[in-house]
Amino acid sequence: MENILLDIFFALLLFTVIVNLIRLWKPIKHGDFISSMLIIMAVITFIVMLVVRTSMGGRIPFANAYEFTLLFAGGVLILAILVRRDLVSPLFDLSVALLTILLLSVASSFSSEIRPLMPALQSGWLYAHVATAVIAYGSFALAACLGIIYLGRAQETDLSLPEVDERIYKLVVLGFTFLTIVIITGAVWAEEVWGSWWTWDPKETWSLVTWLVYAAYLHTRHSYDWKGNKSAWMVVIGFVIVMFTLFGVSVLLPGLHSYV
Amino acid sequence: MMINKWLKQLTQMLASMQTAIYLLLIVGVVSALGTFIPQGQTPTFYLQHYGRTTSMIINGLGLSNLYHVWWFQLLIILLCLSILVCAYRRLRWGKKISGLASLFMHLAIVFILIGALWSLGYSHSSFIEIARGQTIALNNYGFEEGQLKLNDFKIDYYPDFQPRQYTSDLSLINYHGKNIHQSISVNHPLKTGSLKIYQSTWGWAIQLTNLTGTTETIISLKDKDLFLLDEAQQVKVQAVFLPDFKDDKTGIQSKTPLPDHPHVWLTLLQQDKVVDMAIIPVGQEVQLGSYSLRFDTFYPYSGLQIKQDSGVYMVFAGFIILLAGLGIRYWFAFWGKKGAN
Repeated sequence: MENILLDIFFALLLFTVIVNLIRLWKPIKHGDFISSMLIIMAVITFIVMLVVRTSMGGRIPFANAYEFTLLFAGGVLILAILVRRDLVSPLFDLSVALLTILLLSVASSFSSEIRPLMPALQSGWLYAHVATAVIAYGSFALAACLGIIYLGRAQETDLSLPEVDERIYKLVVLGFTFLTIVIITGAVWAEEVWGSWWTWDPKETWSLVTWLVYAAYLHTRHSYDWKGNKSAWMVVIGFVIVMFTLFGVSVLLPGLHSYV
Repeated sequence: MMINKWLKQLTQMLASMQTAIYLLLIVGVVSALGTFIPQGQTPTFYLQHYGRTTSMIINGLGLSNLYHVWWFQLLIILLCLSILVCAYRRLRWGKKISGLASLFMHLAIVFILIGALWSLGYSHSSFIEIARGQTIALNNYGFEEGQLKLNDFKIDYYPDFQPRQYTSDLSLINYHGKNIHQSISVNHPLKTGSLKIYQSTWGWAIQLTNLTGTTETIISLKDKDLFLLDEAQQVKVQAVFLPDFKDDKTGIQSKTPLPDHPHVWLTLLQQDKVVDMAIIPVGQEVQLGSYSLRFDTFYPYSGLQIKQDSGVYMVFAGFIILLAGLGIRYWFAFWGKKGAN
C-alpha cells in the first residue's frame, strides 16, 4: 500500500516536471492551473502515505533517515503551495518538483522498514525537534529554489524581481527562526538524554554552521542592504550546506546523532 | 596614552558590523573544520594518519582539541564582545520594539555563551557503574555529599527483543538533607538542584569463586572481562555471560537476552593463549587447567552518568530570551507595521 502511494507520489512529481518543462519551452493554456493541481494532488498523496505509515507502525513516522527525508519532501511541497501564491513561475514549480524527486531518491536509499523507537528517541522532544526541522529546512529549500529563479531570471521576463527577493527574505526569516528552535530543542533534549546540551557532535556543529550562514545573510541584508544577486547566491550556497548537514554528515562524519 | 588609543581602536573594530560578520563566518569555518579532524586523539595518532607536515599543523595549532583550544575560545569571546558592542550601538539608533527585541536576542546569545563557559569551568561529571543492591558514596566521585543505592535494574524489550527501555530504581540518601527515591530511565534523569543522574549503559556482572588451594576467593567481574588469576604465570580467566544458553549446530549463543537459562562461558588463558574452556550453569563447579572455579551468581549493573552543572540553567534562560526576541523582532517587522519592509 505504502509503495503504491509512493509510486503515485513520484509519478505526480514527474508529471509536474514534464508540464513545467513544456511551459518553459512554450506557454500552454491553463499551464499554471495544471501545475497547481499536480502539486496539490502530490501533497494529498503524501498525507495519505503518512496516515498509512502511522497506522501500520503505531507511531508517527518521525524517527529515522527514511521517515525524515520523506517528511522533508512533503514539507517542501506543502510550503511551496503557500509560497507560489500569486507567483506564476514554471521555473519555480520545476525546481520544486525536481528537488522533491531528488529527496525521494535519497529517501529510497535508506531502509523503509518500520522499527520500534529505541530508548533514546522515546521523548516528546523528538516530535518538536523533527517538525521544526522540516519547517526550517523546507523554508531554506524554497528560498534556494527562488534564489535559482532570481539568478536564472532570463527565462521569465514577467517576474517582479524585488518581489522574488522579498519572498526569499521572508523564507530565510522563517527558516532561521525555526532552525533556532531546532537547535534549541535539540540542545534541551541532548541535556535530557545524553547529559550534555552541546558536545560538538558533527551534526550539531554543522547545524550551527548553517545557522551562522543564514545569520550572515540577515546581517548583510539589514546592515549593508545586500539584496538581489549576492543574497540569492547566499541562499543557494546556504542550502548546499543544509543538504550536507542532513545527508553528507550522516554518511561521512558519523557521531551521536546516528538515527538521521 | 598608548593603551587608551589602542583600546579605542579595538572598540572601533569590534563595533563594525563587518568585523562581526567576518567573526561569524570564521567561527563557522573553523567549527566545520573540526568535524573533519578526529578530536581528542594522541599526537602519534595524527602522525600515523596524516603524515609529518599535516600532523605538525594539527598538533601545533591544537586542532586535535579544536573546540577547547585557547584561540578558538578567544574567537568566541571576540565574537561575544563584537555582538555586545554592535547591539548597543544599534540600540542607540532607534528605540522601537523590534530594535529592543533585537538587542535582547543578541544579549541572549552572549548569555548562552557565558553559561557555556561557566559550565566548562564549574561543572563536574562522572560515570559510574553500580551493581544491583550496591551503595556508593558520591564524595568518592568528586561530588559534595550523599549516597546512591541501586535498588533494582530492569530492561523492557519489544517482542523482537530490541530494548524498549532501561530503568534503574535509585535511592539518593542524605543529599542536602533529603532522601530521594526515584526510577530513572533513558530520557528521564533524576534531577535535584544542579545534580542530575542519567541512565547511560548497563551490563551483566558475574560472581565466581576460586576453589583452588586452601582458601576460597570470590571473583567479581563484568561480562566479557578478564580477571588475572596468577600474575607470575600471566594466567587469566575470561567470563562471557550467556543469559539464555543454547548449543546447536549454529554454534554457542544466547537465544534471547532474558536470563532464562543462565550459563557462563569461562576461558582460561595463559600468556594470552587459550588453555582451556567450559560452559557451566549457576552453582556448578568446573576444573579449568589447574584451577577449580564455581559460578555463584550473576546480576545486572547499571552505568550512570552523574552531573553537577549550574551553568546549564543560564544557557536555558538564554534560549528562552533568544526565542522570545526572535519572535517579537520578526513579528513586528512583518505584521506589526505592514508595508515597513
